[in-house]
Amino acid sequence: MGEKALDIEQQSGSSGTGRDGIRREWSRFKYPNSLIGYGIVLGLLTFFTYSVHYLNIPAERIFGMFGRVGDVLATRYFPPDFEYIADFGYFDAVIETIQMAYLGALFGLIISVFLGWFAAYNVSPSPRYIYPVARLFTMGCRSVHEMIWTILFVTILGFGLLPGVLALTMFSIGFAGKLLAEEVESIDMGQVEAIRAMGGNHLQVFVYGVFPQVRVAFTGISIYTWDVAFRAATVVGFFGAGGMGWYLKRNVMQIETERTAAILVSIIGLVIVSEFISTWARSRVDKAK
Amino acid sequence: MSVLSVRDLRARYSSNGPEILKGISFDVEEGDFFAIIGPSGAGKSTLIRCINRLVEPTAGTIHLRDVDVLKLGSSDLRKMRRHIGMIFQEFNLINRMSVMDNVLSGRLGYVGPIRSIFRTFQDKDIQRALELLERVGLQDHVDKRADQLSGGQRQRVGIARALMQEPNLLLLDEPTSALDPKISREVMDLIRSIATELKVPVLCNIHDVQLAKETCNKIIGLQDGNKMFDGLTPDLDQSSLEEIYAMEVL
Amino acid sequence: MQATETSLTLKDVINARHKKQRVQLCFYLFLFALVIWSVQATVIEDTDWERIGSVSEIVASVSHFFGLDIGLIPDLLAPTIETFMIACLGTLLGLVICIPAIWFGALNVTPFKPVTYPLARISMTLSRSIHEIVWALIFVSAVGLGAFAGILAIAARSLGFIAKMSAEAIENIDQKPVEAIRAMGGSNLQIMLYGILPQVLPVILGIVIFEWEINIRRSAILGLVGAGGLGLVFFRQMNTFNYPGVTTVILAIFGLILIGEVVSHYSRKALN
Repeated sequence: MGEKALDIEQQSGSSGTGRDGIRREWSRFKYPNSLIGYGIVLGLLTFFTYSVHYLNIPAERIFGMFGRVGDVLATRYFPPDFEYIADFGYFDAVIETIQMAYLGALFGLIISVFLGWFAAYNVSPSPRYIYPVARLFTMGCRSVHEMIWTILFVTILGFGLLPGVLALTMFSIGFAGKLLAEEVESIDMGQVEAIRAMGGNHLQVFVYGVFPQVRVAFTGISIYTWDVAFRAATVVGFFGAGGMGWYLKRNVMQIETERTAAILVSIIGLVIVSEFISTWARSRVDKAK
Repeated sequence: MSVLSVRDLRARYSSNGPEILKGISFDVEEGDFFAIIGPSGAGKSTLIRCINRLVEPTAGTIHLRDVDVLKLGSSDLRKMRRHIGMIFQEFNLINRMSVMDNVLSGRLGYVGPIRSIFRTFQDKDIQRALELLERVGLQDHVDKRADQLSGGQRQRVGIARALMQEPNLLLLDEPTSALDPKISREVMDLIRSIATELKVPVLCNIHDVQLAKETCNKIIGLQDGNKMFDGLTPDLDQSSLEEIYAMEVL
Repeated sequence: MQATETSLTLKDVINARHKKQRVQLCFYLFLFALVIWSVQATVIEDTDWERIGSVSEIVASVSHFFGLDIGLIPDLLAPTIETFMIACLGTLLGLVICIPAIWFGALNVTPFKPVTYPLARISMTLSRSIHEIVWALIFVSAVGLGAFAGILAIAARSLGFIAKMSAEAIENIDQKPVEAIRAMGGSNLQIMLYGILPQVLPVILGIVIFEWEINIRRSAILGLVGAGGLGLVFFRQMNTFNYPGVTTVILAIFGLILIGEVVSHYSRKALN
């Protein structure tokens, strides 16, 4: 064994023949790893090609399409009708959207504090029963898209802001609950042990042993959740939940393209503003750490 | 009558894992400063954690002043734990809270949910916390955050927190191994003088044999989950030490 | 003497604690006032409580959704496959149109910083700040109803996230291999191929797989605005008031997302 290893070290690569007279070969292709690699790439390519065929995609026109979109935007959606949105009704809708996002994110965050606690394996009050239930609930909230939540709540409660708030609540639970549970699962368990050792109950373990460790992360997650919830809130109205999305829906249906363009521009503008605020606030929070 | 009496204690972390403690028995009397020594991996930390059931033993009995610890339900267990102070190797302070809040958190076993959420402790608790902080020499650091302190200072906060519980037994899990030798000695001296003053028995696991000999009156030696030595400090001679640390010599 | 000193500090400490608690209380009161104001506007004024009716009526309308429409299941297969393909092709196209954005958007490789860097950053922000529903609306009006609009919408929406994370990965690479290639006389292209790409490729692939998983979720709803897939079936079931059918579609979406999550988990594990 040792001799063999020595042989390999002694070989000089220049002639292609080692000292012991055996020709060394090197190939980029390694069996079976390379074969599996090529197989995966080939499989993916086949799948993509087949999908293009199955969905009847005019593949040769894909890149032309982006130009076409530009054309459509320039001819039909330009110039945006800003006068239409410069009135109090629309301003009210903006405020409503902000309120909806605020409430939805807030309720969602309050619930996800508990879910993050219950769905973190290391501190869950009952890893056998509460943990899987909490985990499943968080996953369910995440898997259902916020627009589907909106439609479901609108069906049950009728048009209005309330179904929007509830849909955003579910959305925020799914978003923040998972992040928070991950954060809780990576804490230092020594502090938890200390509170347990002095006779603290589950609540005290959470308030003293867990929460102080994730407070900064939680603040960051809260700001982020608010930002994402606002982004969703601008559109939930499209399915009947009020706010700016409702304006959007009406004008899309009436093919008022220039008004639609103005609404879209206002939505994009507000979302960018909220993202700037969120980025700035999160960097402040990070610094405070 | 002994304060703490442990008989034939066995523990393992998983049902098919190795046995960490293989039948340990010992007694801690009133006024004892009791040391557990042994090489790393001998089961010292597990033994300490079995006493307040942070680790559940698989067999054996633990009696703390006639209470059968292993038979307690979860709420009685919490009531028992609030009378056992514990001091940790890595201090285990709540890093993001102030020194004051850390010391006050020692009262958690006694306060209700609302007070614990809003951290509204009684004035007499605050008074006692201030006295304890002065006793451990941290009166000037009351409002600092715990992670701004040095290692020795943090362990002093840990001591104050444990004393806040009004303990009738102190468990020390390697209290000095994260500290340098000089600070270690100071911390151990502080704990000993406070323990004598308050007449609290101490069970301490420690890797530094010299320090154990200086501070403790009784010693047991563990090796690979077995008890290799049990006796008064003066009886611990070179041959018994070699027996305890046999694995490490190899 | 000792006692008075301690009690003095005690008073100070208690006062300080009370003051801190009062400040906290004010902050929470402010938040609470905001809640009240928002609840007043959204929940109390805006809601048509008569439409909602009593609790039993809500329970009744919720209970419509319990049950499955078994007959719908064969019809779900094609849209499920379609949704899955939209997500895959959308992610692929997103990755392709991402490449220039990544190149321009990473500070250490961007070719002409004053122009290309802001250009890439703006396109990333635009892509991320426009909701997928809005993207789908735009593309449906440009190329008509169907899966193609969905693919374009997914691609446009994916660009921002993939490009932003990948550009950050490139900015954080280890500079030593780059230096080595430069030292042996490598061109910019060679630096890119041998110094940068091997380092970031696994990271970028991980990001793409992560985004693909999210895209499955997104592609399932694009049909609501006419971009094909499961969303269209959902919309039809909703419009015909076939509530068990709605539940069936949601379960199909769940199944698809679950597959996506499992595949994503294991392939990202294999990458590391």
